[in-house]
Amino acid sequence: MRLEDKVAIVTGGAQGIGRSITSTLAQEGSAVVITDVNKEGAEALAEEINSAGGQALALEGDVRSEDDAQKVIDATLESFQHIDILVNNAGIVRDYLVISMKPADWQDVIDINLGGVYNFSRKVIRPMLMARSGKIINIASLAGITGGRGQANYAASKAGIIAFTRALALELAPKGITVNAVAPGMVVTQMSERVRSFTQDKVKSLIPLARYAEPQDIAKVVLFLASSDADYITGQVIVVDGGLGLGPRW
Amino acid sequence: MADKQEVLQKVQEILTDALGVDEEEVAEDASLVADLGAESIDFLDIVFRLEKTFNIKIPRGDLFPEDLLSDEQYVQEGKITPEGLKVLKEKVPYADLNEFEKNPDVSGVANLFTVGMIVSYVTDRLAS
Repeated sequence: MRLEDKVAIVTGGAQGIGRSITSTLAQEGSAVVITDVNKEGAEALAEEINSAGGQALALEGDVRSEDDAQKVIDATLESFQHIDILVNNAGIVRDYLVISMKPADWQDVIDINLGGVYNFSRKVIRPMLMARSGKIINIASLAGITGGRGQANYAASKAGIIAFTRALALELAPKGITVNAVAPGMVVTQMSERVRSFTQDKVKSLIPLARYAEPQDIAKVVLFLASSDADYITGQVIVVDGGLGLGPRW
Repeated sequence: MADKQEVLQKVQEILTDALGVDEEEVAEDASLVADLGAESIDFLDIVFRLEKTFNIKIPRGDLFPEDLLSDEQYVQEGKITPEGLKVLKEKVPYADLNEFEKNPDVSGVANLFTVGMIVSYVTDRLAS
């Protein structure tokens, strides 16, 4: 087991990519704290993990809320005494062309996707600093590198996460805390369903590895970054897109 | 009430741990930046450890008033303004500003933060 005696918090950990990350970390021996606005989903997953002999705690929380972030950190420390891994995964899409994008569509995406990363990272720094170790893993997106039609808000939030990752990595490196990002391409989740059906699977034909990513493809890379195998990696963005971002092929 | 010598000893332990330096280097007049090699993140680390060790709450900017340096009112052309010096004296009464006032260059502010300054701050906080 690669994460024995570790404690991880996964934001948005009850569904989609987050669910797969939570399960993968738990299978590798980490205690997991699942924080999600979907309380029932988080509780059901925690129950599943606990029934299988793992350790999981479900906490309802909105990543936009500084208070919620603090409560999650406090509850984690109270239950498990330390925090080794934070996976900032919570995110939403509100896809519209910019001309049709309402201010709330812009703000919600920025506040949840990018603001959430700030809120939870900020709150976890103290316990990680005191422990002189920690791994923060942010879920960005290929869209944060290449952009995406109809995704100006989402792409901007994910580009922000990438810049945030690099900046925070520089700040925390002297204290033994690493900060990295994973940038998935098109992953088969409920969140991406609209895009996949709207484009009638055209995106798939552009992927050199000729398939969409499964959540597990992302979770495995998160596991690597959370493990001691990645101790010497910080400030990096690992693109997990089957080659989609490589551009035109001929 | 904690004795100043007792506080010094604990502060030395904290700085040894936070900055990875030998205890002998942590003299009372040692500058955190110039002598002990502290970086910006270290100030936060030190504050966290002081809070935990002495069970006190240190508001942001109270011990290390770094916010002052990004205020145009207090910094002009790389120098602390007279108004800024006044605020600095109020915020860090434990620091010795006599020498600094002759050339109040922003780059010199970090050198005001010494081991002795932290000890005085904590001793006063514990006494109040």
